[in-house]
Amino acid sequence: MSSRPTAPNRRSTKNEYIETDTGNKISRRAHIEGKQNIMLGGKSVLMAGVTLRGDLHRLQEQSEGDERSKGPVTAINIGRACIISTNCTLRPPMRIHHGTMTFYPMRMGDNIFIGHSTHVSSIHIASHVHIGANCVLGPFSVIKDNCKVLPNTVVPPHMIVPAGSVVGGRPARILGEVGDGWGQGQTGGGEEEWVEGGDLRGVVRSIKG
Amino acid sequence: MTTAFPYVRYACPCTETAAPPLLGKRSSQDVETEQDEGLTFNPHDQRANFSLYPLDQLLFCDECNHTRCPKCWTDEMIYWYCPHCQFDVPSSSVKSDGNSRPSSSSTHLRPDGGSSSNDSYILHCQYCDWSTLEIDVKFSKPSRITEQLQKAWKARYGAKEEKDEEDRKQHESPGTQHDATFANLQRFYKDQLSESGDQPNMYSNSPYSSPANLARIMNLYGGLSYNALKKTREKPQPMREAGGLPEGLVTYTEDGIPGEEEMIEKIKTLGLEGTASEEQRLTTPQNYDTRFQDELWPIATPLRVRRGKRCRTCRQFLARPEHKVGSMRYKIRLLALNYVQRLSISPLQPTAPRQNPSFQLRPETLPEVKVHPHQTQQYILTVRNPIFETVKVTLATPATTPGKVASKVTILCPSFTVGPAGDMWDEALSASTTSDGSRRAAMASLTGSSADGDRQPEAGKVWERSRNTTSVILEVVPGAVKSPPKIVPDDKQEEELTEDDDILEIPIYVRAEWEAVPHDAAGHADHKGERESREFAYWCVLGVARITQT
Repeated sequence: MSSRPTAPNRRSTKNEYIETDTGNKISRRAHIEGKQNIMLGGKSVLMAGVTLRGDLHRLQEQSEGDERSKGPVTAINIGRACIISTNCTLRPPMRIHHGTMTFYPMRMGDNIFIGHSTHVSSIHIASHVHIGANCVLGPFSVIKDNCKVLPNTVVPPHMIVPAGSVVGGRPARILGEVGDGWGQGQTGGGEEEWVEGGDLRGVVRSIKG
Repeated sequence: MTTAFPYVRYACPCTETAAPPLLGKRSSQDVETEQDEGLTFNPHDQRANFSLYPLDQLLFCDECNHTRCPKCWTDEMIYWYCPHCQFDVPSSSVKSDGNSRPSSSSTHLRPDGGSSSNDSYILHCQYCDWSTLEIDVKFSKPSRITEQLQKAWKARYGAKEEKDEEDRKQHESPGTQHDATFANLQRFYKDQLSESGDQPNMYSNSPYSSPANLARIMNLYGGLSYNALKKTREKPQPMREAGGLPEGLVTYTEDGIPGEEEMIEKIKTLGLEGTASEEQRLTTPQNYDTRFQDELWPIATPLRVRRGKRCRTCRQFLARPEHKVGSMRYKIRLLALNYVQRLSISPLQPTAPRQNPSFQLRPETLPEVKVHPHQTQQYILTVRNPIFETVKVTLATPATTPGKVASKVTILCPSFTVGPAGDMWDEALSASTTSDGSRRAAMASLTGSSADGDRQPEAGKVWERSRNTTSVILEVVPGAVKSPPKIVPDDKQEEELTEDDDILEIPIYVRAEWEAVPHDAAGHADHKGERESREFAYWCVLGVARITQT
């Protein structure tokens, strides 16, 4: 990580990505709503066309005037070295709770790859998860650690994918288990070394404006 | 196979030994290496698919010095758990209750307070909008769903069965009735066997070994005389077959299953879409006899199992997960990744910028990797060393690839060394200029494209070398998929090309030799200086590209 030029990147307007102090790369063409409700863990990438609905957050207690003092509530929490590819949508799930419509915060772990054009409404995605392209993760679905979601999968609402499984199909079914070496075997950082579910910092580094 | 090119698969040698090696037999290596010598691995062989694996799915037994694949490891249940609620299920309850969790329900179904006012609940699938209302089942409480389902099923089908039984004793619908009938049958035959078989001796539970002896002794002491005893016994009846329902015999007549007519009528109205598929019917025994989709019964979530893996030969644990649901940590994990030299291949003159197919960031379609027949292609073959010793690698490949499409393959430098794997620190210190990821790009920019273009691959020379990788050049002349039209008509039938025969797959035999500190001497001070030479050899297959038809 020594060679990453941070300061010039931020100043020039030509670059596609805005890089934050913690190394997050956010495309200028990403649509981000409710910025104050979104947490990025660092070294994560939001690519062009990504939609983040941080405005869909849980409303504070009815006292409207008090809301400012409490500070922003988190709607989307993304961990470290996550890659949200082009045209993805992250939308916190919603349900009717005690008669009122409530949005629930979305939590995502570290080293998650989400393929392009995927719609995510999961409540929780754990770490080292690889999600293929064109998937739909239904509201309140839970993806546990070390999972692989094949491309074009539709994970139904409320489904819980146990750790270390491969899911696919419409509706998603558990098709198998990932190998014992899931995400392992990175010694250096070359492109051949990128493995699904592994450390994504190398991939993040390679994404440049 | 829809895998993106290029790919590398590693052959587990276990298929070459005819039978899995016996327990405790450790000399199997010698046998295998002998067999290896003569044979060339054919990736187009029908059996090859069963021995080729991506490296991350292989384990390594360091006792046997062998890779281990799902066929040569044994699985061991570590724990059962419910995938839905992520709770550990003790093995005793698995054994008694079967492989499903009594309190949870099928994957996509969840309890839904449909009409909470009168306290009834339904199971509802949020994907296809199916609910238990369709089979007219409601629950009184949102917990212990499986139990309630079972009760509902018994109430519906169990009652029907009893009625059926009363009506027509001959044809009752199967289900739980099977068990009772079977029990009857078993009891009947047990009785028959005991009646017709050897007479149980009267004194059979006495400590005297011989019944004749015992009878004589009893005779001496004035018991029943031996002959009198004999007379009292009944004559053994000849064994007969079961004769009726009380004895467990159920006969089926040909005059039609009841309701067959109705069934045919129903199919006429519903069509084939309304019938249950075999897959649906086989989900649970309750659905075995279901003919229509609207009669299918929801099933409880099957439990999942976390498994440990043992070497089949030496019983060593190769992978042992932590005993904690949801945790993906391992107590023991011997991955082949950490023992086997990894190969990767990339074109020398890439036509398009390389993109890792599993990390496709934009929705553009990747260009299909194709090669033209009879056009020489050069590839960079990179060998990556995971072990902490310098390894001497010898590569071998058949001059023409086996299979129906024969391509010529040449490795320009088949023998070389690969440096040891080390810490990231070593790497950082040795390559002070750039990080490893951008090293190649930096090299290209430093040397300039002209210098890079001038560089020609040379026979016997290593192409590129870094800390723990060495690259050599591989030359391939793809063969023609269609053989040229013959002038003289050949009597021989042209071999039909099957699917995937046009994939250029190169089998490579990799032999790695290195010196290491012996296992047993690692702790002893007096053996410090000693090194023993080790070697490991395996076949792997490089899937390069598809050969175009024209």
